[in-house]
This record gives sequence, C-alpha cells and structure tokens, in this order.
Amino acid sequence: MLYGRGLRTLSVLTAATWAVALGLVFFYAPLEAEQGFLQKIFYVHVPLAIVSLCGFVLGGLFAIAHLRTRESRWDMRSYVAIHMSLILGVGVLITGSIWAKGSWGHWWVWDEPTLVSYLIVFLLYATYQPLRFSIEDPERRARYASVFAVTAGAFVPMNFLAVRLSSAYLHPRVLGGTSNLPGSMALTFGVSLVAVGLLFATLCKYEMTAKHARGQLRALRRRRTDELQRAGRFGF
Amino acid sequence: MPALPLHEAGRYVAGAYIVVFALVLIYVAIMAIRLSRMERQMQELLERSERPERPAQTPAEPLDVGRPDATRADATRAEATRPEATRPEATRPEATRPEATRPEATRA
Amino acid sequence: MRATVAAILRKEFLVELRTLESVPGMSLFAVSTFVVFHFALNQTSVSGAEAAGILWVTLLFAAILGVNRLFVADAEQGGFDGFLLAPVDRTALLAAKALALLGYLLAFELVAVPAFALLLLQPSLGGALPDLLAPIVLADIGVAAIGTLVAAMVVRTRARDLLGPLLTLPLLVPIVIGAARASAPLLAATHAGGSSGRWLGLLALYDLVFGLIAWAVFDFLLED
Repeated sequence: MLYGRGLRTLSVLTAATWAVALGLVFFYAPLEAEQGFLQKIFYVHVPLAIVSLCGFVLGGLFAIAHLRTRESRWDMRSYVAIHMSLILGVGVLITGSIWAKGSWGHWWVWDEPTLVSYLIVFLLYATYQPLRFSIEDPERRARYASVFAVTAGAFVPMNFLAVRLSSAYLHPRVLGGTSNLPGSMALTFGVSLVAVGLLFATLCKYEMTAKHARGQLRALRRRRTDELQRAGRFGF
Repeated sequence: MPALPLHEAGRYVAGAYIVVFALVLIYVAIMAIRLSRMERQMQELLERSERPERPAQTPAEPLDVGRPDATRADATRAEATRPEATRPEATRPEATRPEATRPEATRA
Repeated sequence: MRATVAAILRKEFLVELRTLESVPGMSLFAVSTFVVFHFALNQTSVSGAEAAGILWVTLLFAAILGVNRLFVADAEQGGFDGFLLAPVDRTALLAAKALALLGYLLAFELVAVPAFALLLLQPSLGGALPDLLAPIVLADIGVAAIGTLVAAMVVRTRARDLLGPLLTLPLLVPIVIGAARASAPLLAATHAGGSSGRWLGLLALYDLVFGLIAWAVFDFLLED
C-alpha cells in the first residue's frame, strides 16, 4: 500500500484547522480571570499532552496488532506513533515549563500532577529508541519493541492515577484544568485539540511515507545489486 | 499569584507557541535532509541502471550504525520486500518515473 | 504448570544458595546506602515521610540490582534454549522467576529494614512492623512482576546494564508513591495510625494490572 496517498489533503486540512484554531485563541477566546493572557498557553499545552498520550496508547494498540499478526507494518505504525508522541511530548514539557514559570516563577512545579506524571511517562518512552537500537535481529527487535509498547501503554493510565492520588490533598491545581470551561473557551479548546490531532496524524503519515519510500529504495538497490551479481558484471 | 501584565505574559505565550512551531520546523528540516539523500540515491540507481555493461561496484552502503534510522529500515525492508516478492512490476514504474515524482516533491 | 514452576523455583533457590549472587549483594548495597544517606543528609535520624522516602528509594535501587542479575545466567549459559526445548508452558518461566525475585526481595529486606531502623530511624520500629508488612509485600509483588518482565526484555540486548534500570525506574514510580505514602505515617515519630487503605489499594491494583500484562506478553519475549 502507498502511505503517501491522502497526505496532501491531510496537510492542507491541518494547516486550515491550525489557522482557525490560532484565530480563535487570540481573537475570540476571552481572557481568563485569574491568569490573564498567560492562560492562552493552555490551548496549545493541553491538546499536545492529550494527543501525545493518546499516541502512546495507540502505539500500544498497534503493538498488540503486531504481536498478533506478526506483520511488520503494524510495528512500523507503533514505532511512528510513539516516536511522534515523544516529539510532541518535548513540546508538552517545554510549554508546561514556560507556563509554570509565568504562573509561579519556577521553571518546574511538582504541584501540577498531570505535568509530573507526564514527565514520568516521557522518561519511560524515551527508552523505547535505545531499546530498539540495542537489538540487532530485526524480527526480535520488532517483537521486543511491541512488548515494551504494550507494557508502557498500560502504564500511562496507571501512572496518572497514581500521581493524581499522591497530590490530591496537598495542593490546589496550579495550572488549571479543563473542567468548567465557559462555552467560548470550550469551543476554542476543542478546535485546538482537533488541530493538534490533525498535526499528529499528518506528521505520522509523513514519517510512514518516508520510511516506506526508503524501504522501497533499499529493496530496489538490493535487487539491482543482485541482478548485477547474477549477470557477472562485477569485474572480479 | 496575580496575573502577569500583558507585555510580560505575552512573551511567555509567544515563547510557548514559537517552541511548538520550532519543533515542527525542525522535523521539516530533518525530512528535507532525508528527502535529498533519497533523491541522490535514486539518481545513483538510475545512472547505474542506464549503464549495465560497466562493471559496477557495490555502493558502500553506509553502515550508519550510529543512527537508529539505518537499522529501522530493516523493519520496513521486510515490509517492502514482501509485496515486492509478489508484485515485481510495481517497482519498475516507480523507478522509471523520477520526473513525475520530482515536481511532487518540490510542490509539497 | 505448577510442577514446572516449582521445579524452576527450586533450581533458582538452589543456585542462589550455592552462589550467593543476589541477596547478599542487595543487602550490603542497602546498608551501604543507608550509611551514605547519613552523610549526605548530615542527620542522625529521620522519621515520617522523609524516613519512608529514604527507605523506599534504597529498597528500589537494591531491587534493581537483583533485577539486573535475574536472567543473566540463563542468557549466558544456554538456559533459555534449554527451557524452550522442554515441553512446558512458557509462562511458567515468568511465574518462577518472578516468585524467585520476590523471594530475594523479601530475604534482603529482612536485613535491610532492621538495618534501617537501627541506623537511621528515630522512632522505634517495633509497633509499626506488622502494619509495615502490608505495603512491603504489596510493593515487592509489583517490583517482582515488572522487574522480571524488564529483565527478560533487556537481558539479550547490547546495553543490558544500562537499559534495565532505565526501563525499570519509571515503571516503578507508582509503586514508590504507594509504598512511601503508606509507610510514612507508620514511620512517623508519633505512630500516627494505620496505613490508609487507598495506597494499599493503589499498590494492589498496580500489581494486578502489571501481573496480568506480564503474563500476557512474556511468551513473546521467549520466542527465539
């Protein structure tokens, strides 16, 4: 199958949604009472977090498919989902840090349970690439990576539960949650969420198309080399 | 803590959105590097296929062991070769239409 | 299945008794760490949440030492191949190794916890000990399940000593949370009260979820 099919439509759709989302964020959504203009970071930080966490879990689901069907395309999808989620995760941590600095004057706050649990999840998934890279046999590498992705995917909700429990009674939420949003903010948040989701999908499709194309290229080169070898054209 | 005044808060907000933009741009740059490398390899392949009687040397396939991407291709190679084995004619039109794909690459 | 698990478990304990590879090392590591903590904190005693934190961090890192060594002998001396050739359920290896690790953990904690009480803990441990058993056992079950899974995953990779702790630590954070929070009131100067159910509940839930997951995916790791 061709992974690039539909990539152009998807990217145009992503760009359009981002334009709408940014317009809503800066021209439509009202200023929040407590945090003022700083709160606008919420519209990019939280969707990034939600989409990347879904991406991690999706990586686990693809890994299950890989373990059941043994088709390497599921492994590739699992890898790409996790890889892209990790990239978005860097964005989550940096924007969260900027928000914390603006709100509390510190670059990191332990009081915000979702940010803390996100850091733990990020540290776990940061070992995915080293794990893959340390196994040479491709079939075993895909299989072990899938086992990891399944375990880590199950870890995500458990970790959030644990960290949330550990800080519930101690401090009020620093950066504000998504509950009780007035209508205009909820709409802006929803559109931002869709925009980040589409960005994730576009980047994943882009990556899969590139990987597939490179795989095809390598197959072609190898086939060419085999042909030359068989025709005895090596000159020695 | 009281809300920051607009001009200070504005810097933080701008910083956050710029970081997201920068991440996407870095990704675009990485893909650009991969694309140009792929184009170079395609060009090599095309030249080699146009001169079959020359004793071709195997291009030293860069054993980029240091880059995880190099070994990642093995996982996709298995995927790429399975359909190849059953549909060999699929690759030939791909290889002989570099002109068709190049404007695509520049347009995107 | 039970017979297989029993057989492997017996082998594990026999090997450990003869070579004394894991448990003495883990115990010694824990005691040394307590000494280091004394110098690092520059305090003669700790209590409450601080004590719980020091205790659980030390137990965790000592456990990682045990996890690192769990499958090494099998990988280096062909134990995996021998096991795969036997006509037994493969998950038996997971169960046996996890139970063995649990045994090692409980054994070294028999040394480490009293050492902690002796060296660093300010209130006396006596009254709190029965209550402390619950979080210790529950946490150990979780560490055993996750530790066995991770050990099996990294033992045949290139950077096994580095990847093992790197993978294990984030996965064990919820266990540290549950265990430390549950132990903190027990180690407080005033023996505040029983451990709250919610932390034990969290530990139990975590053990259940990851026990099931390890059970489900372990087969795939052994397939060569």
